Amino acid sequence: MEGVFQFAPAIAALPFVSFLVALLAGKYMPKKGALAGILATGISLGLSLVVLAVVLSGHTYNETLYTFVDAGEPFSLTFGLLIDQLSALMLVIVSLIAFLVHVFSLGYMNDEGEMGLPRYYASLGLFTASMLAFVFSDNLLMAFIFFELVGLCSYLLIGFWFRRDAPPSAAKKAFLVTRFGDYFFLIGVVGVLATFGTAQFAGSEGFPALAEAALGAGETFYGFGAETWFSILGLLVLGGALGKSAQFPFHTWLPDAMEGPTPVSALIHAATMVAAGVYLIARMYGFYALLPTVLAIIAFIGAFTALFAATMGVVKNEIKQVLAYSTISQYGYMMLALGAGSYVAAVFHLTTHAFFKALLFLGAGSVIIAMHHNENMWDMGGLKDEMRVTYLTFLAGSLALAGIFPFAGFWSKDEVLFDTLVVGLETPLLLVAYVMALGAVFLTGFYTLRMVMLTFHGKPRTDTAENPHGVRWNVKFPLVVLGVLAVVAGFINMVPVEKLTGANVSFLSGYLADAPDEFLTSSAHYGELLETYAGYESGVLAGSEPLTVLLGGGLALALALAGAGLGVVLYRADEPTRHTEKLGGLHTLLMNNYYQDEYQVWLAEGLTARVARAADTFDQGVIDGVVNAVSSVSLFSGDRLRRIQTGVVTNYAAIITLSLLALIVVFAVLGGWF
Amino acid sequence: MTTRPELHRETNKLIGVLALGLFGVLAAVFLTSGFGTAEGFETGAITSSIGYAMFNLDAGSIDSEGFLVSFILIALVLDAALDGSIMLAKEDEEEDY
Amino acid sequence: MVLATVPVEYYLLLSAAVFCIGLFGILTRRNALVFLMSVELMLNAANINLVAFAFYWENLTGQVFVLFTMALAAAEVAIGIGIILVLYRNFNDVDVTEATTLKW
Repeated sequence: MEGVFQFAPAIAALPFVSFLVALLAGKYMPKKGALAGILATGISLGLSLVVLAVVLSGHTYNETLYTFVDAGEPFSLTFGLLIDQLSALMLVIVSLIAFLVHVFSLGYMNDEGEMGLPRYYASLGLFTASMLAFVFSDNLLMAFIFFELVGLCSYLLIGFWFRRDAPPSAAKKAFLVTRFGDYFFLIGVVGVLATFGTAQFAGSEGFPALAEAALGAGETFYGFGAETWFSILGLLVLGGALGKSAQFPFHTWLPDAMEGPTPVSALIHAATMVAAGVYLIARMYGFYALLPTVLAIIAFIGAFTALFAATMGVVKNEIKQVLAYSTISQYGYMMLALGAGSYVAAVFHLTTHAFFKALLFLGAGSVIIAMHHNENMWDMGGLKDEMRVTYLTFLAGSLALAGIFPFAGFWSKDEVLFDTLVVGLETPLLLVAYVMALGAVFLTGFYTLRMVMLTFHGKPRTDTAENPHGVRWNVKFPLVVLGVLAVVAGFINMVPVEKLTGANVSFLSGYLADAPDEFLTSSAHYGELLETYAGYESGVLAGSEPLTVLLGGGLALALALAGAGLGVVLYRADEPTRHTEKLGGLHTLLMNNYYQDEYQVWLAEGLTARVARAADTFDQGVIDGVVNAVSSVSLFSGDRLRRIQTGVVTNYAAIITLSLLALIVVFAVLGGWF
Repeated sequence: MTTRPELHRETNKLIGVLALGLFGVLAAVFLTSGFGTAEGFETGAITSSIGYAMFNLDAGSIDSEGFLVSFILIALVLDAALDGSIMLAKEDEEEDY
Repeated sequence: MVLATVPVEYYLLLSAAVFCIGLFGILTRRNALVFLMSVELMLNAANINLVAFAFYWENLTGQVFVLFTMALAAAEVAIGIGIILVLYRNFNDVDVTEATTLKW
């Protein structure tokens, strides 16, 4: 079965072909390119599942397909595939959600009679191809290339309805903010190539392995110690990851990205593109595990963002905005997990979050279709009777998001919190992050159930809510698939059950630890690195691990239930009151997103524009001035010298005589005639 | 009508200082360079010898065949110059083709 | 019999003087015909120089050369008069300081 790896590039190539088909021939096709996309992503999904099966049976793949610049030069640039446990899992996730989103788009875009659909399906195809290629890239440069391509497709898709005012502006904002982070990423890539001569992730010639060797040998780079220099490189690459995963302070683009069509939000801004940042850190975890400072920074940024975004999600009135802030918050959890040394928990939460967040967005899309594209939750209400499938799947997704037992989100979020707690018991600094994450658990439960109650419960508050527009099978099918996954996906890694009963049910942990030794990408290897270099050890509360599990899990579940319960209680009335507005000044602060947008605009206009203007004056005045002065000397002297040619013959004769005289005198003096 | 000759005062004579300067330098160079005595020519009448040589007579006292080529060239050049000046002096005529 | 000769420096001085008089005329006079006359003077100064040195070195080549130059000077004057005629036709004046189009 190893031969299937020869076909692995087709996983990304097929959606690329569907991009070309939709771009060139979309307008002649009956569904404007949708069928090509569905076919391509369907086959990619099939291939990804086969690849996953092969990887589960123990085979992996790390091959260079194309060499730009040979090894032996200062650095080597290659194009290749790395299919190990992590990338096989991610390939399935991405292709599954892409497939479901393509099907959903038939209902959201085609059935609603949208214009410009070939462009839409082409961008979707290109995005899917780029994301899949990013997932199986085997080196940092290739990852960067596809990282940027994914950002481009995000821009194209957010600004899909470009004839309105808001979408192009939101698309630009998304692109610019992520580009700002990607700038640091690029410098990091260059730094990695310059330091290690290679950007490969896996294997003993990969840069994580080289970094470990350099750290052990105590080498220095450019005057810095090895750990300092690697921390700098790690932080630079982290810039790109933070930008793409919308962590503080680069989170401002994600809520505005909701201007794009909802299937796009489901695919890109919930499950895949924003996952790219977390996936990148996880891919390079062998490098990050060596750097305790950077890990601490990642953990704190993650925990802070989780709490920060959750507070903002509490007051929003539009259904997609709540989900956007929820996405930012949940990716904060994943960053926290990575920073606390829990690679498995981060990947687990990434998987479950992809499923339930895509489900929630698609459910919101279904609601939006029903409400004729009105997103304001205060105009909805009572939809649960008219839209059973949507309601049930949306409820499943919300309970998963809130982290209620036994839905998927409970298991993954609980594992993140548990791992942070046990490491925090030995490294007290991480306990602060743990407390912030706990606060976010309460708020997550609250705003999620608030969203559900306002949208589906109570009495319909407008006529559209009373007679919602029906949705067809192409909307309900993806919802059902994802709904089922949101319920059962948690069972792949039931760590608390394993710790309490000793049953061997943490399949994902075992899977991720199975990566072959020569790749150095297994979670077991990362664990060793973390203990040796980062000093992360697990502690226990009250001396026993089962007790820690129960206490930690119980606390998280209690907070989640409390938050959810509060949300239900406050908003279950037939005509719910706007409780969040009672917060007064706090409400204004949260509605304005802590004025982060205004701050960033000030940074651009007030600060950067001024510096740029000063630099421009210097460039034009001094540098250009010098060049112009040189030329003006030539012009001026030319202008003056040409006046010698008066045209009067006697003047010319005078000049000749003068020159002759001067020459004779010079010869006489030098030749010693006198 | 004629007027009595007058000194030409219109032009700027200052520029003529250059000519005077040149004369001064040349004079200084010539007078300070030491020439010896001149060797002079043989006595005899050169011009009659040229005339005899021109008619291929052998009665001249000095050997003067070498002068003859100059007369031929002079003749040619003067002829050409005459034609040239007449051509320049002609008005531009309308040429009918 | 070698006659008592004038030292050659004086011939050279005479030649220089005539040359500079001609040069003065070129530099200061405005009439084209006077310009031409000054040019003739300069040519003849050169002739004097040639003859003086022919006498100094007892070489008749110098005198032959002088014959050439005299004839050529005459030819050149013929052409020069023609040019002045055309000049007058174009600029309507024989003043050399009026014909100044050959400039920037």
